[in-house]
Amino acid sequence: MGKRFRRTREFIGRHPRAASLSAVAIALAFLWATPASWQTSTLRLAVPIALAAIGGIFAEKSGVINIGIEGLLIVSAFSSIIAVYWLGDGGATMGVSNLWWGLLVGILVSVLFALIFAIVCIEFKADQIIAGLAIWLISLGLAPFASRIVFGSPNTASVARFGSVTVPGLSEIPIVGYLLFDTEPQVYLMLAGTVAGWYLLSRTTFGRWVVASGENPKALDTAGVDVRKVRYAAVLLSGVFAGLGGAGFALGTLGTFAGGGDTAINGRGFIAIATYLLANYHPVGAVLSSFLFAGLNSLQTALQSAGYAIPTELIRTIPHMSVIVVLVLVGRTRLPDAAGDHYESGED
Amino acid sequence: MERIAISVAALFAAVLVGGAFVFVSGGVASCRSGLDIAGVTFCYNPMQVFYELFLGALGNPLQGGWSPTNLSLAKTLQQTTLLIFAGLSVAVAFRAGLLNIGTQGQLVIGGFVTAITVVFAEPIVPGGLVGMLVLIPLGVLAGAIGGGLYGAIPGALKAYADANEVITTIMLNFVAVGITSTLLSWQFQDNNSTTAQTAPVPEYAEVPTIPYIGFDERVDFSLLALGFAVVLMLGIAWLFARTSFGYELRTSGIQPAAAAYGGVDGKRMTVATMSLSGALGGIAGAFWVLMVHGRWLKNVPSIGFDGIAVSVLAGSNPLGVGASAFLFGMLDSGESAIGSTTNVPPDLVGILSGLIILFVAMPEFFRMIGTRYVDVRSPEPARADGGSVPDDDNEATDESGGEDGG
Repeated sequence: MGKRFRRTREFIGRHPRAASLSAVAIALAFLWATPASWQTSTLRLAVPIALAAIGGIFAEKSGVINIGIEGLLIVSAFSSIIAVYWLGDGGATMGVSNLWWGLLVGILVSVLFALIFAIVCIEFKADQIIAGLAIWLISLGLAPFASRIVFGSPNTASVARFGSVTVPGLSEIPIVGYLLFDTEPQVYLMLAGTVAGWYLLSRTTFGRWVVASGENPKALDTAGVDVRKVRYAAVLLSGVFAGLGGAGFALGTLGTFAGGGDTAINGRGFIAIATYLLANYHPVGAVLSSFLFAGLNSLQTALQSAGYAIPTELIRTIPHMSVIVVLVLVGRTRLPDAAGDHYESGED
Repeated sequence: MERIAISVAALFAAVLVGGAFVFVSGGVASCRSGLDIAGVTFCYNPMQVFYELFLGALGNPLQGGWSPTNLSLAKTLQQTTLLIFAGLSVAVAFRAGLLNIGTQGQLVIGGFVTAITVVFAEPIVPGGLVGMLVLIPLGVLAGAIGGGLYGAIPGALKAYADANEVITTIMLNFVAVGITSTLLSWQFQDNNSTTAQTAPVPEYAEVPTIPYIGFDERVDFSLLALGFAVVLMLGIAWLFARTSFGYELRTSGIQPAAAAYGGVDGKRMTVATMSLSGALGGIAGAFWVLMVHGRWLKNVPSIGFDGIAVSVLAGSNPLGVGASAFLFGMLDSGESAIGSTTNVPPDLVGILSGLIILFVAMPEFFRMIGTRYVDVRSPEPARADGGSVPDDDNEATDESGGEDGG
């Protein structure tokens, strides 16, 4: 099973043009066959997964496995809501809507946590998996803690959400217009982030450094590039993307943050990891596969509202189960050679 | 030795950072009285918080009228018991180089199987002492089997499909909640209650307290259960140190290639380890049901996640798990103490255990501080034993590859 899947993926690797054409064809067929409401909700639910996945790609490609990305989503989501609440719900500060300030705060907090993670992993050579789990567990405690201090309950108050922005003209394009050009800011950010992530990773010098830092840090070092700096930059970048995803999801879709239990992020950071493993670290592929999980997620909501007598609790775990199925199909992924290892530049 | 020093140092560092964090967050909270600095009122006194947290968990031994059987200490030991099982569950997998983050899910499933097994066996089994002697072992066994099978799933997926066990176990935690809640509402809901919970197990099936010595019957803590946990802990330590299975398990964790060369079937080892780990998680669930609540509740506390912290702090050493479990038992019990005596949100405890894991994960930090004052030389990095790159067993031989670059 896994072997056949791998062969398919190798085929995609060898014939990228044929693969992307068929992907577009499948996507168009999908768009034609499915209801618009399901599509828009899929796109919205993909925001945290897709952006976290792009961030995770940068970190892991550079050699730092960032399993704490779930934690970054959590801290950015609740801090953005708290920021909006403090600045004044529905108001504006310095001529800019408080929602945008909230988004900025969410990103900054996420970057701060990514920085802590980077220092712990790069400076103090921590075990990346354990440190990532720690970041996640700290965030799980921090979300209800902060919420209780500010709101007196583990759930935050509700704030206004981003409204739709329609691009005149483009939104009239048949089939995809309403979907891509008549939507909320966080979806635009996701689409822009996809393009930016892809460009940065595969078309710039920095992207080549990131890949080299994960595959062969010694060679990069020999070429005169500071591996530590590249890794710091990549991990901080994962914080930016995850922050954008978490805060965008909170301010665009949720409007409130439930901090109890697994929090409102509910494992989406881990789903993001499965997403980029499925896409073999390709940013665009990761975003497309995030639609798979987000689609299942919105299918679950659709089934529930359609009144099917399927137990809700079990349906809610469909995305999680599909992650397991995907991991079984993908099997062993080829990690960057030096992922998980520390690198120390030596004089010898 | 260094391992213990690092754990203790990590603990202090976590308390320091946690204390600073509490103090700063007190500047945000609103209160009537607090410490005024530069116009900001800091509501929380970290010293008081930790005082309440640790001494509150022991029942305030520094105040008069302290008795060793007080309610707070009972609660601490109750949590210690559960955390020994959960910590062992994580530790067993860690030692074999597997990161089982799914102890929580295995505990949820195990506890559920225990509860329904005992409830269904109740009419068949006579009551009283006989019932107790039959139902409690039966319940614990059922929990172990339930948790063990649920742990075997990610083990098999890892062994035969190369699916990363960190992600699958985390996902299976979510799935466990989905499965049990669905089964609960489908069939097993206690009809006399609006809380999501199963019917209660009969009173004689709850783990009994020893009469005359030990703790009040009302406190849901039994020295027998703690004794069983300690025996199990010694058993696991013996398994590691004295049996060929334990030897093969440890070798698989340190040097999978060498283990394979020595004739260990790596795939079967993975499944066996995860089953054992899951069974221990299931036993934690069984005792949560049979000792604490007398029934399974949908709202399961995060004992399994705390088990990760317990095991990481103990360096995956079974005997260390005991001490570490007691410490986290204090944190869990102190959680209610700070909830009632201070305004600090009790979620602080979750942050603290995360900080402890973070600091234990970075021994280099303490070595840097340490080498400034003492000349300590450590030949190998003290990482968690499961710290190899998941997905990538072959690479484990190259674990210290980074150091080679220096």
